[in-house]
Amino acid sequence: MFRTTDMVLIAVMLSAAAFTYKIKGDAEAKLAEIRRLETSIRLEEDTIDVLKADWSLLTQPARLQRLTEIYKSQLELEPVEARQIVEIGDLPMPPPLPIEDGTSQPLGGMADSGQDPVVTGGVVR
Amino acid sequence: MIRLWKKFRGTAAEGAARPRSIVMEGARKSTGGRTRHRVLMSVAVFFGLYAAIGGRLVYLGLQEPPASSAPGVHITASRPDLVDRNGEVLATDIKTASLFAEPRRIVDIDEAIEKLATVLPDLDYNQTYRKLDSDAGFVWLRRQLSPRQQAEIMALGVPGLGFRTEKRRFYPGGSTASHILGLVNIDNKGIAGMEKYVDDQGLADLQATGLAVPGNLEPVRLSVDLRVQHVVHDELVQGMEKYHAIAAGAVVLDAKTGEVVAMASVPDYDPNKPYNALEKDRLNRMSAGVYEMGSTFKLFTTAMALDSGLVSINDSFDATRALRIAGFTINDFHGKHRVLTVPEIFIYSSNIGTAKMADVVGIEGHREFLKRVGLLDRMRTELPEVAHPTEPRVWKKLNSITISFGHGVATTPLQTAMAAAAMVNGGKLIPPTFLPRTESEAAAIAEQVISPETSALMRYLLRLNAERGSGRRADVEGYFVGGKTGTAEKVVNGRYSSDKRFNAFIASFPANDPDYVVLVIIDEPKPEKPGMGATAGLNAGTMAGNIIRRSAPLLGVKPDFGHESAALLVSR
Repeated sequence: MFRTTDMVLIAVMLSAAAFTYKIKGDAEAKLAEIRRLETSIRLEEDTIDVLKADWSLLTQPARLQRLTEIYKSQLELEPVEARQIVEIGDLPMPPPLPIEDGTSQPLGGMADSGQDPVVTGGVVR
Repeated sequence: MIRLWKKFRGTAAEGAARPRSIVMEGARKSTGGRTRHRVLMSVAVFFGLYAAIGGRLVYLGLQEPPASSAPGVHITASRPDLVDRNGEVLATDIKTASLFAEPRRIVDIDEAIEKLATVLPDLDYNQTYRKLDSDAGFVWLRRQLSPRQQAEIMALGVPGLGFRTEKRRFYPGGSTASHILGLVNIDNKGIAGMEKYVDDQGLADLQATGLAVPGNLEPVRLSVDLRVQHVVHDELVQGMEKYHAIAAGAVVLDAKTGEVVAMASVPDYDPNKPYNALEKDRLNRMSAGVYEMGSTFKLFTTAMALDSGLVSINDSFDATRALRIAGFTINDFHGKHRVLTVPEIFIYSSNIGTAKMADVVGIEGHREFLKRVGLLDRMRTELPEVAHPTEPRVWKKLNSITISFGHGVATTPLQTAMAAAAMVNGGKLIPPTFLPRTESEAAAIAEQVISPETSALMRYLLRLNAERGSGRRADVEGYFVGGKTGTAEKVVNGRYSSDKRFNAFIASFPANDPDYVVLVIIDEPKPEKPGMGATAGLNAGTMAGNIIRRSAPLLGVKPDFGHESAALLVSR
């Protein structure tokens, strides 16, 4: 007794139901994913907080001072004296470098060994 | 059925229209009436069914969920981090997990304890067994576990165990900056120091309205430099031990902005374990204690005399004989017994000469000057712990004379540092602050208390004293330190005692244009070794020198070896 329209309508209904079911399942999966991510973000944030506190604990000047005192003899560490602090303008000019006469060699004697031993991506072999 | 219903209605209307005609109703009534009845019945049944379901829903919605035996989640108020001027953390919130058990739900006590012991090896077996064997709904097993321990216990999968997250304030520096940072109570509310200040600035209201969530609290930046703070704290601890003192304190103040770069007072406490924080001996001596500052006050007396215009730097005063007034004799500690010029009075720290300078200004002028430089009023700053300075009720001539060399007026050391900064920075009195402040902001609130010319003279005198006078031990090569010592006798049983001293040292560097003022105090120092002295130059001066030597490079003060003090005087 079924007419074609009925068949079509039933098919549409079934597919709509299936579609809704799938959407619902997907949404639940997404929600679960969101919850998981939120948990892991919270965990990361807490870890960052703890690590920050840990870092400031490790870089405490009091701790660093203790360490420098312990390793003073091995690392030869000494407090900076005021006389050791100078600005670049206060430094004397370095003596001029001697300029060698490279005119007798090709390329100023810099690349005369024929081939560069270093092989890079740009070297044609 | 609808057709039947229509038919029925139609006949009913017909009947109404023709009331006098004979209508046979029996057959219709026997069918139509019953149908109507059935429809109503089913409507009622369905309505009742849905009403019951709806009612049940409302009932369930209104009902409280069954109470768990564990205590409700305790929301501890979040606080912003406190960071130093370079962004280093001074105080932060960390989350800790606390382990609890619900003994009723534990299946096998022995197994649970055995498993727990693999993570917490120091767990007391008998005590834990007794706890878990009881019929209690809830017992704490261990407070404040590390995140790793928490994860390991979770991995054990023992039923009946659970965690509560608790927020705890953590101070990585321990006691280094304890007096500046202050304290929080068990509910994470600030009860002292800058923690209390932050609460008073509106954090308490935020917490009350529930807006103080961890994500949206900006860290509070302080003017303190953690590195310099450590240097100061370290030198104080060493100094207190070396000179067998009962207490010591120091402050490093930015002379141009009034920012407190470092401030410490020992003995102190560890804010992470503040069990002894409220002991009277551990108060913040720098702002909450008042002391007679001794000869460091000569700095203010000399500035007052020079600024009044009645005394010039080239004047001389007779310090040959002791000064007798109202039955008291004022004498010099390092007596020269001759006529002294103003710079000589300053560097030999002559009581007689200073008293005579104060006498020139007069009692009223003296009091007015000290009031102007903020030494007689309660200082305004962010720290809640600030003491009120004391002064004589009536200023007599004797008071003015003793106050001229620092006996008779008791001020807080921080306040004295503030006034000393005004003496050397060109005469601007800037209230000290623990929050960052720029020079232009400082200029807006600064008060001109002495002329820039007088200030230049004071810089010269301080430098001269560090070069030739009592402040030699505080001089640091390259940083051009100026300083003034102060050795005050302490009042014991109403009399000044000659063997109990309160020493202070005011230093400024670089002396030609001071960036920083350092004030060191040390209470009842004894000689470092028997036979040595215990005056301020030997202990407070040395400590100030050490603080400057270690902290000047950190503060970015450029060492300079080109200066001559004579040039400072000429260029004033």
